[in-house]
Amino acid sequence: MGELHEAAVAGIYQSEQGDLSTRDQAEVWWEAAEGACRDAGIELADIDGLVGNGPAGIGLRSHMPGAGLAEQLGHPLRFHAKSETGAGSPLAGLNLAAHAVTQGLADAVVIVNAVAGAGEGYTSSDRDTSVAAMAKLSGPYEYVYGTTRVADYAVFAMRHFYEFGTSSAQLAEVAVAQRHHATLHPLSVTGRRGDITIDDVLESPMIADPLHLYDCCIINQGAGAMIVTKATQVASLGRHAAVVLLGYGEGHSHLDPNSMPSMTDCPAAKLAADTAFGMAAVRRDEIDVAGLADHFTIGVILGLEDAGFCGPGEGGSFVEGGGIGLDGHLPINTSGGHLSFSHAGFCGIFTAIEVVEQLRHEGGERQVDGARVGFVTATGGAQQAHAAAVLARA
Amino acid sequence: MTTVEEGSYEKFLPEGIPSSQMPFWESLRAHDIRVQRCDRCGTYRYHPKDACPSCQSRKATWAPLSGRGTIYTYTVVRRAPSAAYASDLPYALVHATMDEGFRMAAGVAELNINDLRIGMPVRIVYDDVTPNWTLFRFTST
Ligand SMILES: [Zn+2]
Repeated sequence: MGELHEAAVAGIYQSEQGDLSTRDQAEVWWEAAEGACRDAGIELADIDGLVGNGPAGIGLRSHMPGAGLAEQLGHPLRFHAKSETGAGSPLAGLNLAAHAVTQGLADAVVIVNAVAGAGEGYTSSDRDTSVAAMAKLSGPYEYVYGTTRVADYAVFAMRHFYEFGTSSAQLAEVAVAQRHHATLHPLSVTGRRGDITIDDVLESPMIADPLHLYDCCIINQGAGAMIVTKATQVASLGRHAAVVLLGYGEGHSHLDPNSMPSMTDCPAAKLAADTAFGMAAVRRDEIDVAGLADHFTIGVILGLEDAGFCGPGEGGSFVEGGGIGLDGHLPINTSGGHLSFSHAGFCGIFTAIEVVEQLRHEGGERQVDGARVGFVTATGGAQQAHAAAVLARA
Repeated sequence: MTTVEEGSYEKFLPEGIPSSQMPFWESLRAHDIRVQRCDRCGTYRYHPKDACPSCQSRKATWAPLSGRGTIYTYTVVRRAPSAAYASDLPYALVHATMDEGFRMAAGVAELNINDLRIGMPVRIVYDDVTPNWTLFRFTST
């Protein structure tokens, strides 16, 4: 049986990002799956494994996404699995797909995140509908008081400011760097609006103290897809450098912030990162490019600390002066991330795809010179479930 | 605080609370807040849980609280989740470390949001929002 790193991301695809409310979810799902197959140099008919959701079905039958896809591919699927970790699901899915491929359970596994159509709840393109639905993610013991997802992260930021002297200007550095990255990505939602400054962030409306509008992720629809095969197949097709999974880890923490021992460091996030780095036998200072979960700017600062790129409380100074820009000490979220590229559905897939593009050296104007080893995290909920992966150019 | 008829209350009310967790909400309604406390090791469980995070015992007693704590962190919400909350803007959400050693989150009552500080002492007051549901809030001591 094979090792994890014998599996590779063979194909990637990202659709238009923004308001896809006039399109059908299933149509966008197929566009993404087909696009990732084309990128990988395989046919849709070659898919024999599915991780996560298929094209949306109707009723309870849609709870068997493997069966739903198989009847349209015209042959039985050999593998289906799903990880329920919200935004982190696709990164957790990459691990499941890599296991399936290396254990001989499938040869070509597709992972798709597709959000389109009128949408209900948090998949809606309508901001008010989406914000109201996400408010209830915090559960009845808190949502009765009018919590929002922004407020859930705002209390983390407020405590971080108190314990470590982190500032709004430091949070703004994250938004500014990532917006610049987005201006270099043709598919990004905010790139066409141009660069922003630290003052722009600080002068944007306060949403939940201390988080301003530009500290928050965007709300949009869109799709992304990945195909996972054996690395040897990617090499033999010769279309792209194979990007392999060197290490992977998870950390499941809590459902409610009340149950977190601390709001400024997260043992589960550390566990995920330590497991991934340990499995990969890679040091933090060997990482050339990273994608860190950034539902809010404070998420990147917490992520840097929990993943061990700096010490506790040092995330604010790490990001200062363009620290996470393309010329910084660690380029992060080089597509613009959830703040500026896309935050559609299980948005962790976009974070991972960007790191894959960087390791393939297909980043265009955003390319980090000579990137060979990347680190990716994905976070579900308010620091609730964490996935971390070390990816490398084979 | 004013009580409104059940049907005219447009903010979010608790939904889907399992019967095992209802004693908490009933204690609020009785203005006598109680939280699960592990029968085996004494650890408080909040929000209510099936098993004790310290020892996994499923046995607990609904224990009374001092109702006093200090602010661990807070935020002031300036963008509401729904129209019903918008009329309250800006409003505060507080996570307090209770004197018993665990945290609870709630809104505030009769407390100027400009006075909020981490470390500030607070105490619990009750807010009968409908005939069936009472919430607790934090106010200054
Ligand atoms: Zn116990």
